[in-house]
Amino acid sequence: MRLIAALTILICGLGTLPAAATSATARHYALQTEASLVGYETDFGPDKITGTMPVTQADLTLDFHTLANCHVAVTLDASKATASFPFAAQALRGPLVLDAADHPQITFVSTAIHPTDTGAIIDGDLTIRGVTQPFTLVATLYRQHGTATDDLTHLEIHLTGIVHRSAFGATGWAEMVGDDVRLNIVARVAQTGA
Amino acid sequence: MRLANRPDGFGPVTRLLHWGMAAGILGMLAFGLTLVRMRMSLATVWLFGLHKSIGITLLALALLRLLWHRVSPPPGPLGGVPAAQLALARWTHRALYLLMLAVPLSGWAGSAATGIDVVVFNTLTLPPIVPPSEAGAKALLTLHHWLTWALMGLLALHVAGALKRSVLARDGTLSRMVLGRR
Repeated sequence: MRLIAALTILICGLGTLPAAATSATARHYALQTEASLVGYETDFGPDKITGTMPVTQADLTLDFHTLANCHVAVTLDASKATASFPFAAQALRGPLVLDAADHPQITFVSTAIHPTDTGAIIDGDLTIRGVTQPFTLVATLYRQHGTATDDLTHLEIHLTGIVHRSAFGATGWAEMVGDDVRLNIVARVAQTGA
Repeated sequence: MRLANRPDGFGPVTRLLHWGMAAGILGMLAFGLTLVRMRMSLATVWLFGLHKSIGITLLALALLRLLWHRVSPPPGPLGGVPAAQLALARWTHRALYLLMLAVPLSGWAGSAATGIDVVVFNTLTLPPIVPPSEAGAKALLTLHHWLTWALMGLLALHVAGALKRSVLARDGTLSRMVLGRR
């Protein structure tokens, strides 16, 4: 529901950030955990399994003038991953998929960020089950609802990407559950410090 | 009505347990074989829960049956059977009881190793009997698979033996389990 709410806000005309609103200064942001959502979706036969994973830590430095100065590091709590039905949640956290008992954290650390018309392509290293693989997220930046046009203190970042779970050794239930896990992340961040 | 077994015949409790479990095991074998070939979806995933629930019920019935045999020992085999056949029948029975315990236990353990609960008829959540482990899950589910095939083989041998005694020897072995007397 929070994802739907977030998307509704986007559709309601907040629009992407104007290029003129960028700043030359790198800004550090903290994730607004309660207002953010890491959602995923994967195939289960003809149906879909959906769920979320809580963010335990996020470190974001954004420089709207020089993207090379941007840095994103996010840690998710695999042991609290949810799914749309109980067996799926247990299977997801279990040793055949995320193996959350031995690898409770999923981490993503950016290595390069490339600008696009609406946001950025974020290349980085994704670690699942202790296996690190290169991974790409597509990011679209928005102002948060109720903020002024030139206010960059509160942002909403919509990130999408596809994880091929078998590349991380998460091969369980392959005969039933798809290999592609589609991430749909809504991150609301607030600038910290000066 | 006398519920217990007699020296020359099976009582109704033993016969009810025998035929009830026979129906349950044969049904579960067909169910399990169908399940592994079925394309799962949100509409069919509950069948795994049903499979586990029936399996645990059959495990409980197998334990009840062993307990009942301690309370009321079953009659011995009928005479006139070659010693080798008697020995084969005795070891087949022992192996069947072992597998009636081992097949559901390996399924329960395999499920526990995957980190997924065994919930009996959406009511009772059983404790995990092994810790979650990828290697354990794969080994135990493979063991469950092969023990099931061994059970099918032994059941075929058991049925063949019963039919041989009933149809060829006509010694009353089968009617003793159906009607309680020769």
